[in-house]
Amino acid sequence: MSENPRVPLLSLRQVSLRFGAVEALVGVDLDVHAHQVVALVGDNGAGKSTLAKVISGVLTPDSGLIEIDGEEQTIPSPSAAHALGIATVFQDLALCGNLDVTSNIFLGRELTDGALLDDGRMEQMARSILRDLTLRIPSVRTPLSELSAGQRQAVAIARTLIGSPRLVVLDEPTAALSVAQTAEVLTYIERLRDLGHGVILISHNMNDVRAVSDRIVVLRHGRNNGSFDADTASYESILAAITGATSQDNEMLKRMAALR
Amino acid sequence: MTAMAGLKDLFTRNLRQSGIFVAFVAIVGLFTILTDGVLLSPGNVTNIVLQYSYILILAIGMVIVIIGGHIDLSVGSVVALTGAVSAVVVIQNNGPWWLGVLAGLGVGFLVGIWQGFWVAYVGIPSFIVTLAGMLLFRGMTLQVLGNISLSPFPAEYQRIAGGFLNGFLGGEGIDVFTLVIGAIAVLGYAVSQYRTRLGRLKYQQVVESMPIFITKIVLVGLVGMAFTYQLARSRGLPIVLIILGVLVIAYTIVTTKTVFGRHVYAIGGNLSAAQLSGVKVKRVNFWIFVNMGMLAAVAGVVYSSRSNSAQPAAGNMFELDAIAACFIGGASTTGGVGRVTGAMVGGLIMAVMSNGMQLMGIDQSVQQMVKGLVLLLAVAFDIYNKRRAGAAR
Ligand SMILES: Nc1ncnc2c1ncn2[C@@H]1O[C@H](COP(=O)(O)OP(=O)(O)OP(=O)(O)O)[C@@H](O)[C@H]1O
Ligand SMILES: [Mg+2]
Repeated sequence: MSENPRVPLLSLRQVSLRFGAVEALVGVDLDVHAHQVVALVGDNGAGKSTLAKVISGVLTPDSGLIEIDGEEQTIPSPSAAHALGIATVFQDLALCGNLDVTSNIFLGRELTDGALLDDGRMEQMARSILRDLTLRIPSVRTPLSELSAGQRQAVAIARTLIGSPRLVVLDEPTAALSVAQTAEVLTYIERLRDLGHGVILISHNMNDVRAVSDRIVVLRHGRNNGSFDADTASYESILAAITGATSQDNEMLKRMAALR
Repeated sequence: MTAMAGLKDLFTRNLRQSGIFVAFVAIVGLFTILTDGVLLSPGNVTNIVLQYSYILILAIGMVIVIIGGHIDLSVGSVVALTGAVSAVVVIQNNGPWWLGVLAGLGVGFLVGIWQGFWVAYVGIPSFIVTLAGMLLFRGMTLQVLGNISLSPFPAEYQRIAGGFLNGFLGGEGIDVFTLVIGAIAVLGYAVSQYRTRLGRLKYQQVVESMPIFITKIVLVGLVGMAFTYQLARSRGLPIVLIILGVLVIAYTIVTTKTVFGRHVYAIGGNLSAAQLSGVKVKRVNFWIFVNMGMLAAVAGVVYSSRSNSAQPAAGNMFELDAIAACFIGGASTTGGVGRVTGAMVGGLIMAVMSNGMQLMGIDQSVQQMVKGLVLLLAVAFDIYNKRRAGAAR
C-alpha cells in the first residue's frame, strides 16, 4: 500500500466510454487521494453514474487508463473492484427485495464456515455495522421489500463497510434520506476520510457537497468541465460549470444560487 | 402469548407456507373419505411413493431453476433420453446395472452443460433453450432407441425404483427396520428444529412459544410415524424413498445454507443487483442447469427402472407436473421465491390428487381438468396474498 501522499489512490486518465451513439464519457481525468473527499457533480445525464460504474468494475471503458496507487489496473468485474478495495453505493441501490437485510449487506462476499454460510456471524456483524451508522432498521432479518426507500439506502451504505474498503464511491447516497439520516451519512463520509480512505461523492445537493468535500469535479456532457477547491470556489462558478452557462446568463445563475 | 394467539400468529405470519400444508392435509382428508380409506392403506401409501418419486426428484431441480428466474421445459425429454441410454447399455449390450446408471447420469450432465451454456453464456432465455431441448432430446431418444421400446431390465436395475429395504431387524408383518429408520428421521427433524430455535434465541429473534413449538413437532412426528407404520405394514422401506429423502435434505441445505443457494435467490430476486454486487451470474446460471440435467437423469433412471423399460414416449408431460409442483408449493412466477420443501408438498398434493382420482375411477380427462384448476387456484391464491401484504404496508 502506497503511503506517499503525492501518488493518488485512484487516478483516471483520458477515460472514454460510449453507448452506441451516446458519448457517455469523453477523455475524463480524475484523481482521488487518500484522506480526500471528491465530489462529482453535473447535470442529469452528465455521465456521473457511468464513471462510478467504470470505477466499480461494472463497465469497462473503451479507452483510457485506470491507476490505483500509481499502478495501472483493469477492473473487469465488481468482485475485482472489491478485491482492489473499492466499495460502491449505486444510484439504483442494487439490492435484492426478496433477501433480508443481512443477506443484502453480504451479497457477493458471504462469510462461510467450511462449505456452509455462517449466518450467525454475518448477522452479528450486520447489526454492529448498522448500530455504528446509527441507521434505524427494524431487524436484520427483514426482507428488503418491506423497508422504506431511506432504510434501503441505509442498507446500501452499510454494504460499503464490509471488508474495510480504501475507496468508497457513493452515487447519490442521501437522495431518499431524512435530514437526520443525511447528517449521519455525511458524518460517516468524514469518518472515512479521517480513517485515510478516499471517497467519491456524487450528489445534486450542493449543501451536502460543500459540507464534506475537499475538491469538486464537474462533468458536463461526459467531459471534465472544471475542478474546484471546495473551500474557496463560489457557488456561481460551480453552477456555471455545471450548466455551461456564460456570463450572459448571470440572471439565471443568481436565481439558482439563491435556490440552494 | 397465549396458545391460541400463538397459533393464530403462526398461521398469519406465514400464511403461504402454512397454507400449503393445510391444503395438503385437507386434500388427503378429502380423498381418504372419498376412497373409503383406501388412499391411506399400507399398499397404496407405498404405491404413491413409488409412482411419484420421479416427479418429486424433478421438482427439486425445477424449484431451483424457478427461483433463479428460469424455466425448464425439457426435463420430460431428458428423462426419456437418459432412460434410453441406460437401457441401451444394460439391455442391448448386457452391461452391468451400475454402468447403465452412470451412463444415464453422464448424459444428464452433458445435457445440463449444453443448456447451461446457451442460457448462461449466450444469454438466450431458458424458455427458448429448453423448448428447443424438449424437441432435441425427444428426437435423440427416438434415434437411440431406433423407435422401439427396450425391456426388460435385469432384477438389480429394477430394484432401484421397485426395491425395498426390510427384514434386517425382524418383525411379524410390521417391519421393525422401517420403523427404526422412520423414528430416526422424526428424531432428526425434531433435533434440527430445536437447534434452529436455539440459534434464533441466541440472536434474539422471534420464535413461536414453547407449547406451539412442541405441538408442531409432535404433529409432524405423528404424521411421519403414521406414514412409516403404513410402509412397515406393507413391503418396508422403498429404496427410492431413501434416494428421495437424501436428495431433499441435501438440496434443502444447498438452497438455504450455501453461497450458491443464496446467489440463486439473489439472481431471481434482482438480476442487476446480483450482478452489481459481484455475484458471478453466468456461472451460477450455468450450474443451475447442470444440476437440473443431473436430477433429470436421476429421475430418468428411476422412471426406466419403475416402468422396467425404455420407451420413446417416456416422460411426456413430466415437465408440466414438476413445474406445477413448484408453483403449488409457493414458488413465485417472477423468480426469487420458493423452497425445496414447498415444492415437495406441492408435488405430493398433485400425487395424492392423481392417485385419489385414479382410485375413484375418475376419467383421465377429468383428472387433467382438476389438476389444471388446482394449479390456477394455487397461483391465484399466491398473487392475492402478495397484494394483501402489499396493501397492508
Ligand atoms: N446502459 C446504458 N445504455 C445506453 N445509454 C446509457 C446507459 N447508461 C447511461 N446511458 C447514457 O449515458 C449518459 C450518461 O448517463 P449517466 O447515468 O452516467 O448520467 P448521470 O450523470 O448519472 O445522470 P443523473 O444525474 O440523472 O443520475 C446519458 O446520456 C445516458 O442516457
Ligand atoms: Mg446518475
